[in-house]
Amino acid sequence: MRLKPCFNLHRNLTGLHRAVGAVRWRSSCRPAPLLTAAPVRALIDEQISIKGHFLLPSSPVTVCARMHSEDGDLWEAFAHYNTNADGTVNLSRDHSIGGSYMGCEPMGLFWGLQPAPGAREGLRLRKKYVDTPYVVHISVLDGHVSPSEAQGAELAAVTAERWYMAPGVRRIEIRQNTLVGTLFLPPGPGPFPAMLDLWGMGGGLVEYRSALFASRGYASFSLAYIEHKDLPGPKNCLNVDDSYFKTAFHLLRDHPQVCADRVGMIGLSYGVYLALRNATQPGVKPSCLICINGPVGSTIKLSDAGGRTENIESNNKYWEYDDQGLVTFKEISSPANLDPESKVKIENITCPLMYIEGEDDQNASSTDNANLIEETLRAADKSHLFTRLSYPGAGHLIEPPYSPNSRISLWRVKPEKVFTLWGGHLAPHAAAQEDSWKKMLEFMENNLRR
Amino acid sequence: MDEKFIVLIQNAPPGFKLTVHAFHQCEDRIKWEAFGHYTSDATGTVNVSEDLSLGGTYSGVEPMGLLWSLIPVPGSKPGLRMRKLNVQTPMEVTISVYQGHQTEGFVDLVSLASVLVERWHMAPGIRRIPITEDGLSATLFLPPGPGPFPGILDLWGGGGKLVEYRSALLACHGFASLALDYLTNKVTIETGNFVDNKYFEAAYNVLQQHPQVLGSRIAMVGLSLGCAITFKMAIYSEVFKLSCAVCISGSHVQPVAGSLEHIMDYFKENAWKTRFSEENETIVRDLLLPITTDTSFKADVGRLQCPLLLVVGEDDQNWPAYESAMDIKEMMEGAGNSHLLTVLSYPNTGHLIEPPFTPHTRASNFMSAASHKSTYLWGGEKVAHSHAQEDAWRKMLLFLRENLYAGRNPVLTSFSHL
Repeated sequence: MRLKPCFNLHRNLTGLHRAVGAVRWRSSCRPAPLLTAAPVRALIDEQISIKGHFLLPSSPVTVCARMHSEDGDLWEAFAHYNTNADGTVNLSRDHSIGGSYMGCEPMGLFWGLQPAPGAREGLRLRKKYVDTPYVVHISVLDGHVSPSEAQGAELAAVTAERWYMAPGVRRIEIRQNTLVGTLFLPPGPGPFPAMLDLWGMGGGLVEYRSALFASRGYASFSLAYIEHKDLPGPKNCLNVDDSYFKTAFHLLRDHPQVCADRVGMIGLSYGVYLALRNATQPGVKPSCLICINGPVGSTIKLSDAGGRTENIESNNKYWEYDDQGLVTFKEISSPANLDPESKVKIENITCPLMYIEGEDDQNASSTDNANLIEETLRAADKSHLFTRLSYPGAGHLIEPPYSPNSRISLWRVKPEKVFTLWGGHLAPHAAAQEDSWKKMLEFMENNLRR
Repeated sequence: MDEKFIVLIQNAPPGFKLTVHAFHQCEDRIKWEAFGHYTSDATGTVNVSEDLSLGGTYSGVEPMGLLWSLIPVPGSKPGLRMRKLNVQTPMEVTISVYQGHQTEGFVDLVSLASVLVERWHMAPGIRRIPITEDGLSATLFLPPGPGPFPGILDLWGGGGKLVEYRSALLACHGFASLALDYLTNKVTIETGNFVDNKYFEAAYNVLQQHPQVLGSRIAMVGLSLGCAITFKMAIYSEVFKLSCAVCISGSHVQPVAGSLEHIMDYFKENAWKTRFSEENETIVRDLLLPITTDTSFKADVGRLQCPLLLVVGEDDQNWPAYESAMDIKEMMEGAGNSHLLTVLSYPNTGHLIEPPFTPHTRASNFMSAASHKSTYLWGGEKVAHSHAQEDAWRKMLLFLRENLYAGRNPVLTSFSHL
């Protein structure tokens, strides 16, 4: 039998093996360590348990996650651990002592993802196509290194898929009765409780939250209302009026697989104002409302009584630029500065309302608006309808959990590049997303299922 | 595919009778179903992992009963077996809830709720590589990452074909696994001749020489006829240097000299011992019984130098696996290497000990290597067999991990490169 040169990996040679680095493993008599993730295919809001086995005992390792966004940008996260005496590392049990996050954070590799060095500025991780997963490459590296130092020096790896859509969920494009949106239906016959899902002034059609709701058993309708090619009228204006939102609500309510008296609404940012406004319109009776970081009135002047607005840009003298040139909309969303004709009569709300507030929201005056809603409801003897979740350190973009927060991102490209400040610090924002999502689902269950 | 799931029904009325039903249409377009009868608790909840099924295709507390008790729907042909040959797509199972304790006619009923479950043999990142060099008919499954990975040579039995699902699953557990077809491979189909020992040695070399496989940590897993090959290679081949071997539902009784052709001839010579059940099912366990004392017809397990795991069903009607295991034990005790032997013996368990949650097949249509088609009796009682599959898989993975990943290492040879 031919003798193969083989390095003994006894602990005494730890210093030597570190110097030899990655080469050691390849020419050794031992297989590479084993890295496992369970489940390897998960929904975005599910925890994944990551473990390393057969590593050197009580030794430094780095666990790393890398993925490409749909735009092709590389995002990475990493954390430094010391393995146990039995040569294992377990992200559900062990503490990170450095890297993208600190402490025991089972999902830190996902919410701690940041654009890799050299990436374009002002990126925000958002999934456009929900019928495909994020493919995340998770690896374990020798020593306490950063991902760029460790090219090609992986000890072991595992690939995980993270999905916004569960198998069996049906995605239905809606372009009827002037509506522009996407309906997600859970598998099965129904009937299902439902949610109307509204995002902010950034516009477009954002599907991922609805896809997740459907994966959790709720029919969910993502509705576009501004800045979408299939919507009418000039750009930068809200060209649809109250009847548009009423039609959307009725589409859900009247759908054969939806329980007509179990339809709620969720809004983020400007979507909060729209949800509140429409909840107080005749013919629209949501069973519950979830409001995330938004105002009680329009931040853009209305151009008619039906709710259409003037050009977004017409307000830009009120946009604030901080000393780094970042734009925020805090001032214009302050209750005092909202278009008075647009301010919603909160006292007319008749259903439970949950307000989710990021205390470090730099984009909107969430705290002031939340206070206003709370006071108005109290004065109308309706405090029992109100739930407020307030998160220190969390910013404007409180989204489904285990996704990274963008404190700053690109807001506009023409006529010149403008970046906006959303606020929020990575770890507290991640905690806020995890907690608020859980509480949001419980709120929906209590109001739409029981 | 070897992971457990939790089926949870909520918001039903309390004390409500309901049926949980699983439906799957397999690659052969056959429809399979399983169901359990439950009663919801005071909160209107049924948790299949914790609650009692009162009847159906399974009963008792059986978290995975909806999968392992799948049977062809009424009206299907007899003698069917569920096997997935395309491992790159998932097995889709629709799990539904029906009102009341239903037993039939599910296709005409309206369900209360349902979900779609995907069961995968391949994890993301696993690489599937067809191997055709040296006339081999094989598929290599590599785990993600740089490696090097320990290797496994994976052999099935007399039915032939390139069966990939066990190898795909082994790769999900960190092993580079090579599934090998040695009965319906190209050369055998074209010439009618069985492959010789060099064919298996070539397969071993594919693993041994692969840059991402650790050549010093290769194991062999065989089922049924695959065990005969495993014993032959592990004991008599100059090329094979196995770290360990797993033999499922097989025997060491075979002509020591020669190759596969001689093994097949030996069966033919003993074919007169074939029996038939009352339902006219073919029983061939007697072909190798009684266990011979002639040492030229028994692989000399006393010469084994690596750990051996035997998995046998005590109701195996196809091979005398249990009797062989007892004889192997005796031979190894006599030779002084029985410390290498572990025997997992399961009562009421048949021949087809497959990865967990695979539906149990007591008898099915089988085309033997002699191209003779009939219904073969495999044996086993559904519940015991299904539990055995789960237990054996877990223990097999532990055995493989112990021997291929952990400690026990050929001692280092030289520091000459330092």
